[in-house]
Amino acid sequence: MLEGLVLATVFCGFFGIIFKKNLIMKIVCMDVMSTGVIAYYVVVASREGWLTPIISKGKNAAYADPVPQAVILTAIVIGFSIQALMLVSVMKLARDNPTLESNEIEMNNTP
Amino acid sequence: MNTLTLAWIALPFFAGFSIYLFPKLDKYLAICGAIASAAYAFQLFVMPSAVTLELLDNFSVTLLVDRLSGYFILTNALVTAAVIIYCWPTDKTAFFYAQILMVHGSVNAAFASADFISLYVALEVSGIAAFLLIAYPRTDRSIWVALRYLFISNTAMLFYLVGAVLVYKASNSFSFAGLGAAPPEATALIFMGLLVKGGVFVSGLWLPLTHSEAETPVSALLSGIVVKAGVYPLVRCALMVEEVALIVEIFGVGTALLGVFYAVLEKDSKRMLAFHTVSQLGFILAAPSVGGFYALAHGLVKSSLFLIAGSLPSRNLKELKQKPIDTKIWIALVIASLSISGFPLLVGFGAKVLTVKNLGPWETIAMNVAAVGTAISFAKFIFLPRGGSTTAKPGFWPAVLLLLAGLIGANAFDVQAYTLGNMLKAIAIIGVGWSAYFLIFQRTAIKLPRMLEEFDHLVGFMSLISLLLFWMALPT
Repeated sequence: MLEGLVLATVFCGFFGIIFKKNLIMKIVCMDVMSTGVIAYYVVVASREGWLTPIISKGKNAAYADPVPQAVILTAIVIGFSIQALMLVSVMKLARDNPTLESNEIEMNNTP
Repeated sequence: MNTLTLAWIALPFFAGFSIYLFPKLDKYLAICGAIASAAYAFQLFVMPSAVTLELLDNFSVTLLVDRLSGYFILTNALVTAAVIIYCWPTDKTAFFYAQILMVHGSVNAAFASADFISLYVALEVSGIAAFLLIAYPRTDRSIWVALRYLFISNTAMLFYLVGAVLVYKASNSFSFAGLGAAPPEATALIFMGLLVKGGVFVSGLWLPLTHSEAETPVSALLSGIVVKAGVYPLVRCALMVEEVALIVEIFGVGTALLGVFYAVLEKDSKRMLAFHTVSQLGFILAAPSVGGFYALAHGLVKSSLFLIAGSLPSRNLKELKQKPIDTKIWIALVIASLSISGFPLLVGFGAKVLTVKNLGPWETIAMNVAAVGTAISFAKFIFLPRGGSTTAKPGFWPAVLLLLAGLIGANAFDVQAYTLGNMLKAIAIIGVGWSAYFLIFQRTAIKLPRMLEEFDHLVGFMSLISLLLFWMALPT
């Protein structure tokens, strides 16, 4: 169930990238997609339990798998920096293409 | 050797960030990074066995360097050095050199990594640095081309991440070897990401526009090595996991034919070179066991061709037929074109012979067709009029001479290829290609539609390619 919802988020983002015309919307859709992917890592991490994986006395409960969570942190940082770069370049493009429609920009800038 | 490997991976990044602190030293630091990689690559060739590094148990970073990565690393070192030398007399800022080192370092890291997450990081860093290099002129067009590149590669890498976690789910490790035990959807998603990043087959059609619209040295860098960062993991997976080897080979043959088909009909010199990158990557993938040597041959020849194409008086091949080019530049152009067509005495010949020897029977015909197509399209360059007086940029000759020397020197890796039969076959392929050029293709004026290169279609094709891959990866 949870897995299905997360994958639905990924697909919503992906179809948004294709169907939205505005460049900003496309970038936002990519962010939705990457949120879905990040959530999927968290879902995979919680396969065997939800507890924070910190060593403590006495308790031997079902811990969440720390590896996917650690890994996805890197991906979040990378995703964030890419997003920032894209938005900056969109700002530059907006000067000459104020509507930011991607097919217009593409037509103006393809030989 | 372990410490040396880690130091070598870190060095370009340290050097790159030091450039920000000491902008006056930019070129020197950049060239030092490239030389260090070349030295490390030679170290790999003399080493008897592969170096495997597992940091922190089997969950985390796995590195693997052997002769195969040695070829890729050497390519990276030579191409980067040539590009830096080419830019030496120009007024490129320290920022530019820092980004070149970032690309160099991240591509190096991709060639050393043997797990999906380190590879992901390396590929994304190379994507960001390549974005900054493409957008360096700050014109609207360059920004759009760079944005399109970053957008497509990042979307593909998101699919790749989903595939990577599926591998982890199946085998509790991110290493390439886990791909064997993973479900078919994991293979499909990971390979789709790598195919897009590597510019292979239909998913690689972002490449012609990006590589042809970038500045000359940046195109050389992108075509010479950056796409290889996506191709190397495919080769490595094909060698490590038997189940996926066939998929990689099929895509290799497909992309070799598709790229050459576009290239033969192309009338713009830089776009033709970019389509040839799509095609030549197929030769690397078609015979994964010897792919490294082909990658070296292709990296050297393609970057020299891009540098030479940047010094021609025009990009349009039709206009070039009217404007004679400088005889010295023409000679360099002919040497590079002959090498990529597989003419003996140049490394392209040895690489082609070795690849064809390692092909399955069903692949041989297709790859020979692709080789003939290569000869046809490079005949367009070889038979250009000469005798003009265009002057090359000051950094042009040292850079191109370095690459051309590499083309001749790299023959030492494969001297067994020089048998009479092989040489006759290579010359026959070139002969067939050139006669086809004179009889048919010289006069044709077919313009292929560029619909598939539109942004929306590129993204849409990702879903189709992953469906195709899923179907191919299903256990029969």
